[in-house]
Amino acid sequence: MSDTQTMTMLEAINHTLHREMARDERVVVFGEDVGHNGGVFRATEGLYASFGEHRVVDTPLAEGVIAGAAVGLAAAGMVPVPEIQFLGFSYQAFHQVAGQIARLRYRSQGRFEAPITLRSPFGGGVRTPELHSDSLEAQLANIPGLKIVLPASAADAKGLLATSIRDPDPVMFLEPLRGYRAIRDEVPLGEHLVPFGQARRVTDGDDVVVFAWSYMVDVCRRAAEEVAAEGIGVRVIDLRTLVPLDLEAIVQGVEDCGRAVVVQEAVETNGFASEIIALINDHALWSLEAPVARVSGYDAPYPVGQLEDRYVPDQGRIAAAIRATVASP
Amino acid sequence: MAEPTTSGGPGADQLRQMMREMIAARVFSDRAFNLQRQGRAGTNAPVDGNEAVIVGTSHALDPTKDWVLPQYRELVGLQRFGDEVIDRYTLYVMGHPGGGHLPEPIRVWPPQISLAAQIPHAVGLAWGMKLRGEDGVAVVFFGDGASSEGDFYEAGNFAGVLDAPVILLCVNNGWAISTPTSRQTAATSFADKAMAFGFPGVQVDGTDAVAMHEAVSAARERAVAGDGPTLIEAVTYRLAPHTTADDPTRYVPEDVLAEWRERDPLLTMRRQLEALDLWSDTDHEAAQADADERMELAVQRAEATPTPPDGFFDHVYSEPTARMQRQREGFNEHYGLTGGGAS
Amino acid sequence: MSTYEFRLPDVGEGLEEAEIIEWLVAPGDSIRRDQPMVEILTDKSQTELPAPTAGVVAAIHPEVGEIAKVGDLLIEIATDSDQPAPPAPPAPTAVPAEPQPASAPGPAAASSGVRPKASPAVRRRAREAGVDLSTVTGTGPGGRITDQDLVAARSAPGPVAGRATISTTPAPSTDAVGQMPIGEHPLRGIRRVTARAMENSWSIPHIHGMDEIDATNLLAGRAKIKELLRPAGDGLTPLAFLVTAVARALRRFPIMNASIDTEAGSITVHDRVDIGIAVASDDGLIVPVIRDADRRDLMDLATEISRLSAAARSRTIDVGELRNGTCTISNYGSLGGRFATPIIRSPEVAIVGFGAIRQRPFVVDGAVAARPTLPIATGADHRLIDGDVLTAFQEHIAGLLTHPVSLMVA
Repeated sequence: MSDTQTMTMLEAINHTLHREMARDERVVVFGEDVGHNGGVFRATEGLYASFGEHRVVDTPLAEGVIAGAAVGLAAAGMVPVPEIQFLGFSYQAFHQVAGQIARLRYRSQGRFEAPITLRSPFGGGVRTPELHSDSLEAQLANIPGLKIVLPASAADAKGLLATSIRDPDPVMFLEPLRGYRAIRDEVPLGEHLVPFGQARRVTDGDDVVVFAWSYMVDVCRRAAEEVAAEGIGVRVIDLRTLVPLDLEAIVQGVEDCGRAVVVQEAVETNGFASEIIALINDHALWSLEAPVARVSGYDAPYPVGQLEDRYVPDQGRIAAAIRATVASP
Repeated sequence: MAEPTTSGGPGADQLRQMMREMIAARVFSDRAFNLQRQGRAGTNAPVDGNEAVIVGTSHALDPTKDWVLPQYRELVGLQRFGDEVIDRYTLYVMGHPGGGHLPEPIRVWPPQISLAAQIPHAVGLAWGMKLRGEDGVAVVFFGDGASSEGDFYEAGNFAGVLDAPVILLCVNNGWAISTPTSRQTAATSFADKAMAFGFPGVQVDGTDAVAMHEAVSAARERAVAGDGPTLIEAVTYRLAPHTTADDPTRYVPEDVLAEWRERDPLLTMRRQLEALDLWSDTDHEAAQADADERMELAVQRAEATPTPPDGFFDHVYSEPTARMQRQREGFNEHYGLTGGGAS
Repeated sequence: MSTYEFRLPDVGEGLEEAEIIEWLVAPGDSIRRDQPMVEILTDKSQTELPAPTAGVVAAIHPEVGEIAKVGDLLIEIATDSDQPAPPAPPAPTAVPAEPQPASAPGPAAASSGVRPKASPAVRRRAREAGVDLSTVTGTGPGGRITDQDLVAARSAPGPVAGRATISTTPAPSTDAVGQMPIGEHPLRGIRRVTARAMENSWSIPHIHGMDEIDATNLLAGRAKIKELLRPAGDGLTPLAFLVTAVARALRRFPIMNASIDTEAGSITVHDRVDIGIAVASDDGLIVPVIRDADRRDLMDLATEISRLSAAARSRTIDVGELRNGTCTISNYGSLGGRFATPIIRSPEVAIVGFGAIRQRPFVVDGAVAARPTLPIATGADHRLIDGDVLTAFQEHIAGLLTHPVSLMVA
């Protein structure tokens, strides 16, 4: 009887939700289509049957009150795990996320806590209409009081989701749409927690370090394999959580390699890559042999299906950036 | 003018207590206003005209079981929910972070600046209470202006779907700063909006504390019995500026204001009680003096409460991130402080 | 008795001043707390200011019609000593004066007046080496200063007068040689590449032979050719003669121009003679390769050596020119050394080292005479080369250089 199982990321999320709801009766899952339908991606499949209509709730089509009610539920002593069907729809709930969820503890100076895990998928490559693929991690990371978590593997989806649900602070748990079924790996079946602020080294190498999160991690891994054949040693680092951030992994990577690339799906301007480069400037500048390269989406809204494949960084663009950074005199 | 009844309504002692609390609310509010004019407090919103709404409501609730989510005028009238409420409110208007912290067991939330955001909170809270099998209600105050926000409609709708034990209390005082209710909605009344949510909406004379008490008691009974939410529209008039930063003489018609001053809730209540021989001039003066003394104590306490200069780093997370700690150290070093703080 | 001074507060969210409209109290009046004292007009509204404390009005200051600024003293109120005066409104938070930015230490003005460009890593290495970047010429893109530029900057330009040297690369300035700050440093760049190469080389079992060569004829011959070919002959370095001699010896003893692979179980004797010239630098070994060294005449060799050295220093050398040599010459004499045990560059099997030419006692025709002597040290891979071969090879080179005229015959 193995203690791990191969799962897609989606299966890992569903598996974890089942476990956490069984472990803690305060956990309440709610959102649009999460109950009877099991979620439009089936992330919440089976929860309604297992835990009933009081703990798995289909809400009206209203992101604002999904986020706002989570605040009240949390103050009542529950552990809310709401879902926003696509992260781009969270614009509808932004005032509750940024002005209320993020600040409940701060405003009440600790009288109230918001142990809320707000799950939402994002990211491109699945031919969805407008606003379904938008990356918002940069905007969210700019809001003090929130934690930003982005799993890139099925095992991490479990470990990070479990940690999120148990965390006393609000967590934006951002899931990669494209990774739901495309990412598949060995997931421990028993208790498995991945702490926040601890990056994961995906490949080893000393010539250049590549920082990424969410679906881009796997693309970077493939780009690393491609350039390994040319003798370039690439260290791919999956940051896992942007807030809190594993600064040490970033500094160590730059000190060891002297050259770095940051990869994000999001719009280039003010993306989180900018923040990483600023931190490299603050903490590891003197180890840099060449400018840090950014591979990102473009300064245009996430495009329609026919155009999206080249908008998002692909293996070729990442490999090219790696080569150019290594070759930089 | 509603007659107090001996069954169901407040008894004599409670009526006198309500009067005292209404007077205190006005005294606290006046003092806060003056403090702002003296440079000792920041912008604050006077309570004038809302006293009966608040006190009538609070007396219909159980402070050990029910929750109150205010907007911002209400705290001066919620004395029944805790003696410390006024201390915290004074800290709040003075811009001290402790002003947002109403300690246990006070079941009152801090003021909300993003109007109507508190309504979804109340619905979620009521929902949670129901899930936990608690037999209380959540009462959320919001103004006529706030009722135009999306949050009101989303939350009202969700409350109906959930059958949540929540009371949506819309305080219609005629004005949202300078916007009259005639420009706020085309609906016949704010109470009517409950039809869209699928639960009852009732309009109540907000200048009458006893009427408020009756309406909220009934709504509470419904909610606790599992019959769901109620929208209460308390109709009154704003008798003072919107806040210390407002000049209502620019837009409030003098004659209308004069009319409504005649219906000042303090006057109304006083007349009611005097008619029942439950109130005298001595009582009135004593109530004012007591309130004045209590507020002076709150002011002294607040002005004696130190504010740690690096206080804004506290309570952002349950534990500060490494980055925040670095920032805090840099801050304290630059400003030559020794630092400290909670978390 | 104490006096409470009340100053104009900011009553309007960003007020700067207000006009006094009417005083509602006068000096001598007994007033109670919160009693309206004065009416003021701001740009937002007209408003009353209530008394902060009970007491007796001692003095009022601005007159009706005057404009008071926030912070100006409005009224003084005498209070009873046993009544605690309320605290004065908190002074506007004292914002610590912004520390004047320390004048950024500017680099010594470069002649062009433009700030030197260099990567953070190069800057750090420059700083550690005590090199002022503004004195360094940058040959990287956009005039950027590269590591090689640092190396070049730290080398003394040209030979020192009076010292016979056959070096083509300038000797590094002695004050920078061997310098490295105390502490841990990352193993990077050329140093790391060299270190790895040395690890490979160390697996070769070396034998070394050494000798001293009488360089009298060599120097005389060189001088003669320079005179004959002036001015083209000015570029003729002794190193060109050394390469010629070694190339000739490699043809004479092909086993020295080979590679051995014990794992594959093979010995490869090369058909070409491609001699690498080790360019000694502070960062490590750069070894450009002279192709077909045995087929070039002296001037051709001198030109090629010069070209390759310059290219190596400026880091414009093509990677192809650093590869696939068949034997190496290490000219440590340019650093002033005499005897050494040079390390073979895998997969070659031999390396010939030359030390600095110095006047030494030499036995000529049975008597001791002062002669310019050229030390030679040859390293060989003992898996392939035995002592007799090594000795014969070295003797042959020595013979050719002692009597360079013998280079005229095959």
